[in-house]
Amino acid sequence: MLARNLRLLIVLGTLLCGGAMIRAGDFRTTGDHTGFAPAQPIAFSHRLHAGEMGIDCRYCHVGAEQSRHAGIPEASICMNCHATVAARRDAVVAERMAAEKAGREPRPVVSAEIAKLWRAQGLNERLERDPAITPKPIEWVRVHQLPDFVYFDHRPHVLGGVACESCHGPVQSMDRVRQFASLSMGWCIDCHRTRQVALPTAAPPGHGVPGHAPAAVLTDCATCHF
Amino acid sequence: MNGDRHERPWRSAAERDGTFVPFDPNEAMRREFLELPEALAAPSRRSFLKLAGFGALAATAACSRAPIEKAIPLLLRPEQIVPGKAYWIATTCGGCNAGCGMLARCRDGRPIKLEGSKAHPIGGGGLCATGQAQVLSLYDERRLDGPRLDGRAASWEAIDAAIAAELAAARAGAGRVRLLTGSESSPSTRAAIAKFLAGWRDGRHVEWDADSRSAALAAHAATHGVRALPRLRLDQARVIAAFDDDFLGTGVSPVEHAAARRAARDADQPERFALHVQFEARMTLTGSRADRRVKVAPWETAAALCELARLVAERSGRPLPFAALPLAGTAAALSAPLERIAGELWAARGAAVVLCGVNDLAVQKLVNLVNEQLGAYGTTLDLTAPVQQRRGDDAALLALRRELEAGAVDVLIVAGCDPAADLPDAAAFAAAAKQVPLLVACTTHDDATAALARAVLPLPHFLEAWHDQEPVAGLLTFSQPTVPALRSTRTLRRTLALWSGDARDDRELVAAAYAAEVNARGAAADAAGFERALHDGFVQFPVGGRAGTSGVVAVPRFSAAAVALPPPIAAPPASTLGLVLHRKVALLDGRHAQNPWLQELPDPVSKVVWDNYAAFAPATAKRLGIATGDVVRLAAVEGGVTVELPALVQPGQHGEVVAVALGYGRKGTERFEKLGPEWLEGRATVAPGGRVGVAAEPLLAVDGELLRGDVRAIKVTRTGRRHELACTQDHHSLTVPEHLAPAGGVTRDAVQVLSLAALVEPGAGGGHGGHGGHAAASAELWPDDHGKAGPRWGMAIDLAACTGCSACVVGCQAENNVPVVGRDEVRRHREMSWIRIDRYWQGDPEAPTAHHQPMMCQQCGHAPCETVCPVLATVHSSDGLNQQVYNRCVGTRYCANNCPYKVRRFNWFDYSRDDAHANLALNPDVTVRSRGVMEKCSFCVQRILESRLLARAEGRVLQDGDIEPACQQSCPAQAIVFGDLADPKSRVARLARADRSYAVLAELNVQPAVSYLADVRDDREARDA
Repeated sequence: MLARNLRLLIVLGTLLCGGAMIRAGDFRTTGDHTGFAPAQPIAFSHRLHAGEMGIDCRYCHVGAEQSRHAGIPEASICMNCHATVAARRDAVVAERMAAEKAGREPRPVVSAEIAKLWRAQGLNERLERDPAITPKPIEWVRVHQLPDFVYFDHRPHVLGGVACESCHGPVQSMDRVRQFASLSMGWCIDCHRTRQVALPTAAPPGHGVPGHAPAAVLTDCATCHF
Repeated sequence: MNGDRHERPWRSAAERDGTFVPFDPNEAMRREFLELPEALAAPSRRSFLKLAGFGALAATAACSRAPIEKAIPLLLRPEQIVPGKAYWIATTCGGCNAGCGMLARCRDGRPIKLEGSKAHPIGGGGLCATGQAQVLSLYDERRLDGPRLDGRAASWEAIDAAIAAELAAARAGAGRVRLLTGSESSPSTRAAIAKFLAGWRDGRHVEWDADSRSAALAAHAATHGVRALPRLRLDQARVIAAFDDDFLGTGVSPVEHAAARRAARDADQPERFALHVQFEARMTLTGSRADRRVKVAPWETAAALCELARLVAERSGRPLPFAALPLAGTAAALSAPLERIAGELWAARGAAVVLCGVNDLAVQKLVNLVNEQLGAYGTTLDLTAPVQQRRGDDAALLALRRELEAGAVDVLIVAGCDPAADLPDAAAFAAAAKQVPLLVACTTHDDATAALARAVLPLPHFLEAWHDQEPVAGLLTFSQPTVPALRSTRTLRRTLALWSGDARDDRELVAAAYAAEVNARGAAADAAGFERALHDGFVQFPVGGRAGTSGVVAVPRFSAAAVALPPPIAAPPASTLGLVLHRKVALLDGRHAQNPWLQELPDPVSKVVWDNYAAFAPATAKRLGIATGDVVRLAAVEGGVTVELPALVQPGQHGEVVAVALGYGRKGTERFEKLGPEWLEGRATVAPGGRVGVAAEPLLAVDGELLRGDVRAIKVTRTGRRHELACTQDHHSLTVPEHLAPAGGVTRDAVQVLSLAALVEPGAGGGHGGHGGHAAASAELWPDDHGKAGPRWGMAIDLAACTGCSACVVGCQAENNVPVVGRDEVRRHREMSWIRIDRYWQGDPEAPTAHHQPMMCQQCGHAPCETVCPVLATVHSSDGLNQQVYNRCVGTRYCANNCPYKVRRFNWFDYSRDDAHANLALNPDVTVRSRGVMEKCSFCVQRILESRLLARAEGRVLQDGDIEPACQQSCPAQAIVFGDLADPKSRVARLARADRSYAVLAELNVQPAVSYLADVRDDREARDA
C-alpha cells in the first residue's frame, strides 16, 4: 500500500515538475538568462541607432577596445547628437505643419525619452541648466552579467576580430536589448576551442611560429578564472 | 654548511630541539576537529533545528535568480578615464619621511595599488611594506572628517573665525606661538610656516621625530658646522660597520638603503662584495642580514666606538687627542672583533662607513671622527646634498615642554605628530598642554594629542592632497591627488596660509614653492616645467646650485676639536637588565597602528603579529624562568614606571638586555575588537575596549637634552599570567616525510648559503656542497599531457639580495585581495598571505645566523596538489601555471595537505568585507574568495594576461621584463625576477642556470618553477680562524 502510494507520488511529482518546466517554455540550466530583456529607464532603441542610423557600436561603447568593460555611454556622448535632435523627425514636421495651419510659432518638440536624458543632466526642455533639476546619472539595468569569479575582457575579443554580434546577437534589430547567448562556460569554451589566436609570446626555438602561442592558452582555466 | 659540521637551520626552539612535530598523521587526524565545540559535537534539538533551518534557507537562496544589477555610467566622463581601464599617477609616498617616489595605479577615479617609481632617485622602483599599505590607510573609515571645536563638529568657516579671534587676542598679548611638527621637508609648507610665524612677536617652529636622529644632527653641527644628516651612499661602500642602526628595517630611508646594499653586494662581482658587520644588542632585521654580528650592550657602545676610533686613529697616524675608554668587564670580549673590523675598515678606507643609530651626542661625534678618518665624507657619506628626512630636535621639544609647564605658551599648533602618545610622561604633557589657552591639533586620526586639543583640524591623506617634499637637498618630489578628497580635510600648509591671509590653494602654494626653488637657482620657472615635474613626480636640481637652508655648496670641513671623550656609562645594577626600546619594521612609530595590513604583517625577525612583547635572549629567559607568552612586569629602577608585557624568547639577542617595540597601545586600536570571524570558538583580536599591544613609551628616558630608549635599567618579574602571542614562525613548515627522503636519508636545507670565498675562487670550497641545483629531473609525471610548447612562467629569488623586509608580503596582499583574519585566526595557523617569508636560524641560539626566504606557490611542473584534487579545481595551464579555480573548489583541502611547500591557504570563513570604505582598495581584477575555497599565489596571472594583451594591442612580441608580479614590483632590493623559463635568453632562465641557483625540495622532483639563488655571506673571519 505504502509502496504503491510512493510510486504514484513520484510519478505525479515528476509529471507536475516536468509540466511546469515545459509550460514555462523556460527549461534551462542554472544561471542561464538567455532572453533577459529588462525595461530600461529610458526606452533607448538599438534598432533605431545601430540599425536605422547605422552608428558603429564603438562610437558609444568606447571601452570595448581599451578596457575590460565595453561600458555604457555617459550622457555626454548622447548629447553629441541629442543636443540638436530632440524628437523624431515626423513629430517635428507634424508640429511645424500644425503651427503653420494655426498661424503660430512652432513649439519645441521634445520626445519624452529624450527629455529624461536631458533631465538627468539637470537641463530643462529648452536645454538650459535648471537649478530645480538635480543632475543624476541614469541607472540602466545591466543585461549581460557574469558571475564574480569570471573575468571577461572585451579587449582581446574586439582586437581579435570577434564581431559584437557573435555574442550580443542582432542588436541592430532589437528595440529593447535582450541577452542573446547563454553566456555559460560551455558556450564560451565552444568558441575558445575552435579559434586560433596569435598571442604575442616569443616562442622558443622549435616551438611553433614566433609570436604565436598554441590555442591551448585559450582553454586554460586562468584565461577567465583568477 | 658542508660535511660533518653541518647544522640544520631551525625556525623555533621546538624545531631545534626536535620537540616540534610538524606533521604527525595521528595528531593531525585528532586535530582536524580538535576545536569542535561541545555544542556541535552533540547537538541539542534546538541547535539541530537551527542548523536545519539554515540549510533550508541556503537551498532556497541557491535557486533564486541572480540579482538585478544596475550599470550607472558617468554623466560627463573625464577624457583620460575609461571605466575599467587602469592609469597611473606619479606621486610621492607619505608613509614616512623618506620620500620614495611612487606610481598610484588607479581605476575608475581611485587608487587601488601603489607601486615604486623606477625613475625616482629615492626608492628606484621599490616600496616598503609601509608604503604598500598606504592605499588601505586612504580608505580608512576612521580618518577624521571635518574640523572639531571644543569637542563639537564645526564648519571650517566657524573654526577659522573662532581661531582668528583667539589668534588676534594672543597676538595683542605676549604673542607666544609654537608650532610642533614632525620633520617638515616640504618647501611649500616651510614657506607657509615661515610666513605665518613672521607675524608673531615670539613665534617658533619645533620639529621633532618620535624616531629621533637628534644626536646625529647635533654631532654634525659640532663637527662639520651643518646641522644635517649626510646622505648614505651604501652602494659605494666596501665595508659597512653598523652600531645599533637598523638601516634596512626602521632606518631613515630603508628602501633606498636596501637597493644600495644590493648594489654593494652583487654576487656577480664577488671581488667588490661589501662586508657588513653589525654591532647591536637586540636582533634587528639589519643584523639578521649581516656577515658578522657582534653583540654589544647599549652601555658598551660608547666604549666600543671609542676603541674603534682609537684603532682607526692609530692606523691613520693621527692619534686620538684623548685616551680611549677602557673596555672593561663584559666589553673586554669586544676588543678582538673591534680590532678586526678596524683593520678591515682601514683597508677599505675611501669606501668604508661606520653607521650608528644611538641617540647620544658624544657617541655620534666619535662616529663622525671615525668616518672622517676613513675618508667616508665625500664617498659613502654625502654632505653636499644632505638628507632632510630627519630634522627633528629633541632639545627644542624638551624646551617647548618646559615652556608649556611654565604656562609660557599662548598658542600651540601640533601637526602630524602625536606627542601625547610618543613622550614618556604622557600625563605630565597632557596637564601642561591643557594650560595652553589655544591648542590646535592637525591630525588624520583621533589620536592622544587630538583628545587634548580645543580645535582639531583633520589632515588629508597624501593620496588625496597636493604636497611636496625635499627628502634630499636639491631633490623636489611631489604628491598629487589621486582621488577627490574622501574627507573634509585641509593641509597644514593651507591652514597656515589662510590664517596669514593667503587665499591660494594647495596646488598654487606647491607651484609657488617650486617656482621659488627654480628662481633661487637663477633660472626662470614656467608652468610647463612644473607640469613636467608633476608628470615625473620629482625634479632634481644640480647639487650645490643654490646656497641657503636647503643646499650646501662646499663640502663642510671637519673639526676634530669638537670631539671629546664620551663619559663612561655604567652597566645596569646586578639582577637588572638593560632596556632597548625600538621601532617596529613597517609599523614604524605608531602612526600606522590603525592599519590592519601592517598589524597582521609578521615581524620580519620574530614573526609575531598583532602584539608587542618583551624580548629576552634564550639563556636569560631560562635563567629568569620565563617562556614565550608569560606576561612579565618591567619596572624601571629609577622613576617607578612599570609596564606589563608578554615575553618572547629571541635568539641572538644580548643576554643582558630586554627589548620592547614602541608605537603600540595606541588610541584607536580598540577598533580591532571585532576583527576576525565571529564563531563559537573565536576570540577577539583585542579584548573589549583594549588596544593592540602595550605602550612602552613611559619607559623612554630623557638623557641630557635627548630622548633615549636605551639607558634605563629594568627589573623583570613574572606576573604568573599568560598571553599567547600569535606567532607564525612554526606555521607551514617545509618538511620531507621520511619515506620520501632521498637515498642518503638527508634532505637538503631549504636555505642554501655560499661563502664569498667560494665565489671569488670557485675551487676554494666554502660549502656549496650538495646544493645540486640542477639535480636531474629524471622521471616525468606527465609525459604526454602537459603541453610544453608555450612559455613556462618562472621566478628566481636572490637570497643574497633579499633583506626579509616583507614589502612583497604587503604588496601581494594589496594586489590579490588577501584578507586580514585577526589575531585568533593567525594563532590557529590560518593566516591567508600568499607569500610568506620563512626565517631560519642556524647555529647557537645565543648567536645564530639568520636566513630569510620568501616562499610562495612554486608552480610545480609535477604539482602534488593537482593529482589529489577530486574535482579538478587545481590544474595545470599550458604556460606552466598551477591554476586554482575557485568556482570548482569544494574545499576538501587535500591539495594543501599534499603541498610540500605549504603555500596553500584555505578560507575557513568569509573573512570580513563589511567595511565599505576598505573595500575600495580591492583590486577589481582579482576575485574576492569566499568561504570554503582554497587559494594560493597565482604568479599574478592577471598581470600576465594584461601584459600579453597590451603587447598584442601594440602589435609586438611580449618582451622579457614586461610582466612584473606584485612581489617583484615592490621589492626594494630587486631580489625577485619573473619571466619565461622556456626562453633561454630571458633573465629568469639565465638566473635559473646560474651556479648559485637551486630549487627548494628539488629531491621530490616536483619541478618547481621558482629557483632560489643561494645566499652569500662573507665569512672571512671564520675562514681565518
